[in-house]
Amino acid sequence: MTQAEIKLCSLLLQEHFGEIVEKIGVHLIRTGSQPLRVIAHDTETSLDQVKKALCVLIQHNLVIYQVHKRGVVEYEAQCSRVLRMLRYPRYIYTAKTLYSDTGELIVEELLLNGKMTMSAVVKKVADRLTETMEDGKTMDYAEVSNTFVRLVDTHFVQRCPLVPATENSDTGPPPPAPTLVINEKDMYLVPKLSLIGKGKRRRSSDEDATGEPKAKRPKQTTDNKEPIPDDGIYWQANLDRFHQHFRDQAIVSAVANRMDQTSSEIVRTMLRMSEVTTPSGAPFTQPLSSNEIFRSLPVGYNISKQVLDQYLTLLADDPLEFVGKSGDSGGGMYVINLHKALGSLATATLESVVQERFGSRCARIFRLVLQKKHLEQKQVEDFAMIPAKEAKDMLYKMLSENFISLQEIPKTPDHAPSRTFYLYTVNILSAARMLLHRCYKSVANLIERRQFETKENKRLLEKSQRVEAIIASMQATGAEEAQLQEIEEMITAPERQQLETLKRNVNNVFLNFILELFIASVWK
Amino acid sequence: MVFPIGCLNPQAPSIMASRGGGRGCGRGQLTFNVEAVGIGKGDALPPPTLQPSPLFPPLEFRPVPLPSGEEGEYVLALKQELRGAMRQLPYFIRPAVPKRDVERYSDKYQMSGPIDNAIDWNPDWRRLPRELKIRVRKLQKERTTIILPKRPLKTTEDKEETIQKLETLEKKEEEVTSEEDEEKEEEEEKEEEEEEEYDEEEHEEETDYIMSYFDNGEDFGGDSDDNMDEAIY
Repeated sequence: MTQAEIKLCSLLLQEHFGEIVEKIGVHLIRTGSQPLRVIAHDTETSLDQVKKALCVLIQHNLVIYQVHKRGVVEYEAQCSRVLRMLRYPRYIYTAKTLYSDTGELIVEELLLNGKMTMSAVVKKVADRLTETMEDGKTMDYAEVSNTFVRLVDTHFVQRCPLVPATENSDTGPPPPAPTLVINEKDMYLVPKLSLIGKGKRRRSSDEDATGEPKAKRPKQTTDNKEPIPDDGIYWQANLDRFHQHFRDQAIVSAVANRMDQTSSEIVRTMLRMSEVTTPSGAPFTQPLSSNEIFRSLPVGYNISKQVLDQYLTLLADDPLEFVGKSGDSGGGMYVINLHKALGSLATATLESVVQERFGSRCARIFRLVLQKKHLEQKQVEDFAMIPAKEAKDMLYKMLSENFISLQEIPKTPDHAPSRTFYLYTVNILSAARMLLHRCYKSVANLIERRQFETKENKRLLEKSQRVEAIIASMQATGAEEAQLQEIEEMITAPERQQLETLKRNVNNVFLNFILELFIASVWK
Repeated sequence: MVFPIGCLNPQAPSIMASRGGGRGCGRGQLTFNVEAVGIGKGDALPPPTLQPSPLFPPLEFRPVPLPSGEEGEYVLALKQELRGAMRQLPYFIRPAVPKRDVERYSDKYQMSGPIDNAIDWNPDWRRLPRELKIRVRKLQKERTTIILPKRPLKTTEDKEETIQKLETLEKKEEEVTSEEDEEKEEEEEKEEEEEEEYDEEEHEEETDYIMSYFDNGEDFGGDSDDNMDEAIY
């Protein structure tokens, strides 16, 4: 883990879980797998605090534990999982676009709580939805359960590993920690629950609460009195599936930009058909026959089979090689080359970054070197048709930022510099990794800046909050327009600043996706 | 013996001369043909850098504007909401409030934070290692298993008991040690029970009143400012 990533993890943990969890989490990321006492000793925090922090981290799938010999339990943090926390809003927004508000709230609850049982999720979401509905209407549990089942069927939500059922637990002492197992087949198996009920509104004068006098309300909720039917079956959000979805979206929009709407629809259909059959790291999808694609096209599209075949041939012949032809049976078997597609997307990202940072002439040189793979200094000047001095300058600028690298080819075994070729080349993988690292660093910087701005303007922000409250109360009693306007104007400037930094924060994250997926694909 | 810095090998004056000569006129001789890299003869090299590069170098090109629009705005609002929501959840662990310089009477009545460092939410303990569970000392009528009985209130009763224990030990020096140990354990257990009951009673008495009714007493003295002649006690 690079220093920038560790810094970003620390900032994220601090924002979302507080300082104690941050200290423990960062220590684990830095030092790897450690047992409980060592953590407490090294971080100089009390044992109780460490236990609390570890419970929180394990609940949110950020730390895993393993039982080693002699009963020692070691805890290990997952840095990449912590970095995913940056993307929570994206995941929630995706769920909203696919499954509307219900889906959005389900995913939000799962992300905020780490893991939950289905009945707990359904109840909470129904309550939340009921709050936003008009008076008198309530949300039925059945509807929420349906959306939940749909989310599971499309693999957006998956089961957590289970505690194995031990029948002979009284023979030996129970192990210090359970070993959780999960069966591939069971990961998306929804238990048969009959959740009947409606969402409740949280109001002080609720009809349901009249039965129990408030003074003696027991601390436990009413759930604990009834046995929970799906006890022990926990669900979590399947982040890989979301990443797959983002990747598919990127590919479809790339095809739409390059060709036209119809071809992008065809590609989208192909991707949808292979959503659940293709494992996440596969280089290409399962082969699909042209007949199958024709049958699965969305209902609105009535293009003839011949036109579809023409489009497919066109896509397969395209130099970008998003779609490839793998056989001729069934009217032609077509696959989508996922790794190649990701590579092209990553290259396009790099090109656009070079263009925005250094100018279009630099971008021309960059694309040239990409295309020709290895070029000498003189050749670059000739091919790009840029005067020598400028070309030199640009090449060295890009070299210093590590977008371009030098490859030495010695003519003699003693590597004498006067008798060695020096060729400029672009190593896409390392350039992508460098860019990703830079993204993480800039996100960390932005978070710091936002915290700084918040602290600076804290007084002003608090004032604005009070002003808003005053305005609301004044509006209720009916006050003059002018007064209200005057008060509102006081708060615009720092608010705007805040918003700017926040925005930059969020949007920097977008660049990350494609690069990460590309790097992950090459590694696997 | 002090060697001049430039002269390390007195037996090779020719090399020294050329190096000195090279430094004197034009650029120094480098190990490779500089033309291959693109520095022609007579070109002026950029001046050497004597300080680290500036922290915020001026940008040649303006950065691309941020993506705005419906999706961007919604995601932004979501992020703000999420951050706020996470602070309210029980997973957000706040460091313990540092004790103020003087122990105040109201501290006993303001229950800030969970009892005994336990966590606010209930995880499924079957899924977690056993060592992570923090046992909470429960103030219940029935006696629950307590691992480390804490003795914060050393009252006179305890002192008397310990004195008695010491006296009995002195008297029974000649007896077998195992018997002594058994007796000690019994006495300790009795002490635990008695002390525990005592603790519970005390605590129960203290919390008979509803917490919110308790008045800090900090407002006292600020109200009655009518007669400034009398001193306020």
